[in-house]
This record gives sequence, structure tokens and C-alpha cells, in this order.
Amino acid sequence: MEIRPILSALMRSKVSMILIGLQVALTLAIVCNALFIIGQRLDRMQRPSGMNETDTFWLGSYGFGANYDAKAQQQADLVALRSMPGVVAATSTNSVPMSGGGWGEGLSLQPGQKNSTAQTTLYITGTQGLDAFGFKLVEGRDFRPEEFTFVKFGDQPHPQSIIVSKALADKLFPDSSAIGKQVYSEDKPTTIVGVIERAQQPWMDSDSIEYSTLLPMYMPYGNSTRYLVRAEPGRRDEVMKAVEQKLVEANPSRIVGKVKSIADIRRDAYAEDRAMAIILGAVIIALLAITALGIVGMASFWVAQRTKQIGTRRALGATKADILRYFQTENFIITTLGLIAGGVLAYAFSLWLMHAYQSPRLPWYYVPVGFIALWLLGQLAVLGPAMRASRVPPAVATRNV
Amino acid sequence: MLTMTHLQKVYRTHLIETYALRDFSIRVNDGEFVAVTGPSGSGKTTFLNICGLLEEFTGGEYQLDGVNVRGLDDNARSRLRNEKIGFIFQSFNLIPDLNLFDNVDVPLRYRGFGAAERKQRIEESLTRVGLASRMKHYPSELSGGQQQRVAIARALAGSPRLLLADEPTGNLDSLMARGVMELLEEINRQGTTIVMVTHDPELAARAQRNVHVIDGQVTDFDAEPSLRPATSGDAAVAAIA
Repeated sequence: MEIRPILSALMRSKVSMILIGLQVALTLAIVCNALFIIGQRLDRMQRPSGMNETDTFWLGSYGFGANYDAKAQQQADLVALRSMPGVVAATSTNSVPMSGGGWGEGLSLQPGQKNSTAQTTLYITGTQGLDAFGFKLVEGRDFRPEEFTFVKFGDQPHPQSIIVSKALADKLFPDSSAIGKQVYSEDKPTTIVGVIERAQQPWMDSDSIEYSTLLPMYMPYGNSTRYLVRAEPGRRDEVMKAVEQKLVEANPSRIVGKVKSIADIRRDAYAEDRAMAIILGAVIIALLAITALGIVGMASFWVAQRTKQIGTRRALGATKADILRYFQTENFIITTLGLIAGGVLAYAFSLWLMHAYQSPRLPWYYVPVGFIALWLLGQLAVLGPAMRASRVPPAVATRNV
Repeated sequence: MLTMTHLQKVYRTHLIETYALRDFSIRVNDGEFVAVTGPSGSGKTTFLNICGLLEEFTGGEYQLDGVNVRGLDDNARSRLRNEKIGFIFQSFNLIPDLNLFDNVDVPLRYRGFGAAERKQRIEESLTRVGLASRMKHYPSELSGGQQQRVAIARALAGSPRLLLADEPTGNLDSLMARGVMELLEEINRQGTTIVMVTHDPELAARAQRNVHVIDGQVTDFDAEPSLRPATSGDAAVAAIA
């Protein structure tokens, strides 16, 4: 390998080497961190909500007029929804995972506890709640019909029994089963009767996103109620269309709207993450392309500038492969110097992101993988100019122009 | 050392074929110092290029130190060039970004010598041209004559059997030219065959033998009586009908 003489020749024309090296360094630092952020966003977008998202949708009913009986209408609507063809289950609920809005409360293990043991969201659901959501019961039982109560909007809900997510159960009772245990909300006791495998909170950025609680209650908010409907597999869109008309026909003194599939709710919830991933992806592609073009440009310029020198090397015994190797080695040296600086920069950038945005630390393997990727990119970029150089005939050495 | 018999070099375009060398025959014996002279465009450089395996020829035969050169592939020609031939160019052709040590090292690396042997050869050849003390200098820090001496050191470092010099004093003033010529004569006296292309009659006169080339042919047949061309053409350029 001709590393030493190539390096010492490069040191005589530092500006080009520094410029390309810097470009490689910045590319490595930005690409590593951007890829890590994309990975984080994709992981976040893959988080399961715990519910059936394929066949479910929700909608709102907003009654008006002095004689509107929200409580009676809610029951009538549930009967109507459940009788519709293609509906597997329907329930009333105040919120669904990923919707961005809901209720939260602290649960404690003792009455009068100063700080609650866990913060949970409250899904206030009617009968068929577990089926409509598609939550999977892993311990205990579903609510019994007699456990459902009516609560006036604005009153503090204090049910006798609740169902909690497994994550919340484990948080409250890490060493034993939560079934049959009492917990306290506003110093009022309630008993855990069931544990579901997973139920995400409505808030995507919540620190306790897996801590959820189902309450067996009907609680219209004024004249408004929201329903969650689960259709038979493959019939969601068809049922979504029919539902609105059915409810309006049942009582025209209200507006039925905001019909939205849970799949759409997920899409909206993660729109920002998706946009971030796409933008960062575009930045990565642009950076890699600019770096590759920079290398092609510089190598092409050097080949043109050194045509006579290449011819002389050929005259002195270099084969075409020697010339090809020369330019590839030169590129390898410049890229490696850039990558060493870029590696330091990548970790420094990650540290800054950690301090400024509480981002997790860049895993160590991103930089070595980036090294290999940029080495390959550099070698591919220089291949064209290097092959052009290898085709310079040795007779160029004796031309005096 | 080298024998070219009825050698031909034709440059073809779609309209015209141009004979750069035509029925060109020459023999150079081991240890000779031959000057090839002729006016501009006579084919001297083409001869030198073919002689140094820098260009291929289109007809005839060429034996270099017992090797039939015809049909050798590019890699074999590169190897042969590296092992048997040392080049001295009119404009020195030193690599400006390498110091003298690394410049002389270039052909040795392609030869595949180990680091210790390369170092010894570089030091020896730079000593031979009187520049051992300036190994770490760059070509731009030297005079033209000194640069040509480095080029000679580079040509000698691989111990070639044949030294090809293309107007070696063409870019030098008379004092420096004299020094370079004396060096070449000394190298020849030590056994290296030298073929020097020049248009300078004074320089040519210092060689043991002169071969004159006009229109791509050897015209001084007294110098090459045994290789008198079989046919002689009137024109170096023939239009294709």
C-alpha cells in the first residue's frame, strides 16, 4: 500500500483534503444522529395501543334542545348500534388510545396517601367495553352488568370495581396479583377485578403511557356522548357509513359526526413522527448525495489535473490496477480522516441532543456502521474518476503539451 | 538489446491513415549509446514510445532484451517496462507533491521491492547523481539540471538494462545540459544501454552511433546496413480511397 507517500502528497494540497474531509465528517455526524432519531420515531410509531385498531371506529352524538334526554338516548343508541349488521360490539367511552384527549387520575395504595402510586387514564366505558376496544383480559374477569352505574357529568366517578392494564397492575402490586386488591382514588376505595394485557393512554408523550384503567360507567357529558364501535373483520368502512344515518334517523335532534376510524386516529397521532422521519430521511439522502458528488467532483478534477503524472506513473511501470488503487487509496485516506473527525462529532452531537432535548444516547454501533457505509460510498464515488485515470495511456508521459 | 524489424505504426481515423513509422528497422546492441535524430514530426517520439512500450505498434517485430513484445497484454508490458527500462523525459516528469526520496521510490514500489531494498536503492541512485543530501527536498526547490538528475536517479534506481532519454537536455541551459550529458556518458560507461532521442546535432555527436529518422523511416542506412528496409515508401501519409 502506498499510504505514506499518498498521505504526504495530500498534505501538500491540504485545502481540498480538508474540505472533503469536513464534508465526510459532517455527513457522518448528521447521518448517524438522524438515523438514530428516525429509528426512535419508527419505534414510537410501532408501539401497540392494546386495542383492535383495524375494525374499530368512534363517533360522537351531540344533542340539542331542552327535552333532549342524554342518558336515555345513550342507551337507545347502544341498542341501535349493537343491532346493526356487521357490528361485533359497541360501547360508550370518554376516550380512546392515541386520541390525545382523556381523563387522568392518581391511584394510591392507602387512603390519605400524600403522593399517588401511579398516574392512570380513565376509560369510562359501558357494557361490551372489552369487546369493543378489543382489550385482552389476562387475569380476573370482565365487569358484571350490575356493576355499571350512571354518573352525572361533573361528579367524581367512584366505581366499586375497575379493570387495569397489566403495566399498571405491576406498578401497583409488583410482587403479587392485583386481582381483588383495593386501590384508592380521592381516598375512595375501589377493587381491581380484571387485568388487561395492554391499554395505552390517549396521550402519546405520557411518561406512564401504559397505565390505564377501565371504569364501568355511563357518563354523558351534557348532551354529548361518544361511542366506540367494532365491526366484523373487513366491514369497518361499510358500517362507518351506515352508522351515522342510523343514529340521525333514531333522533334528529342532534348532530352525529366526527366518525373516525382508530386507524386514522393512529395516523394522525403519529403524523408529526412520520413527517420528522421523512424529513430526516430526505436530509440523509441529500447529504449522502452531496458528499458522493463532492468526491466525484474532486477526484475528477485531480484526475484531469494529474493526467501527465498518471502517464508518468504508467511509464514507470504502474499497471492500470495500480492507478485505480492509487485513487481508491487516496479516497480511503481522506474519507478515513474525515470519518475520525466525524465519529467524534457524532458523539458530541448526540451529547448535545441529550442535554438539550433529553434524547437517549446514540448507541455506540451507529458510528462504526456509518464508517463502513461512508467508506463504501467514497469508494463507489471515486470509482468512475479512478477508472478514467487508469485509462490514461502511458504515452502521455512523453507529450510536452 | 533491442531489435525492431520492419516496424510500422499507423494512426487511423475514418478518413485517413497516417504512418508515423514505416518499415522502421533498427538494432541497438548491449552497452551502446545511440542517438536517434531527426526533424520535428519525423517519428522520433513515436519510436521512443514504442521502444519504451508506451505505445503499441501496428506491424513488424520488436524484440526487447530477448522478449518478443508483440501481443503482450497491458500488464505484461507494464512489468517489462518497469524491470528493463528507465525513462528520462525532456520536462523531467517528477511528481511535484513528492520529495526526491519518494519520487525515486515510485518505480521501485511498482516493482514490489521491500522497504529496506527500496531505501538502499534510492540512496544509492541519489548519491550517484550527487543529490543524496537533498532527499527530503521537493522538485520545486531544485534547479532544472538538478531535477533532471533526480529523474536520472529515478530511472537508474531499478537497475534497468536500457535507458531511454527523450531530449534529456531540451529544457536545460548549456551548462546544466553538459552536466547531464556527462552523467549519461558515465552511466553508459558503467554498462547501461542508452537510446537518446534528440534533434540537437551537437548532443547526438557525443553518442557512439547516430540513427537519423525522416518521415518515419531510418534514412541513415550506413548506420544500419543489415536492416535496410525491404521497400521504401515515398509518402508517410496515404489517403484512403
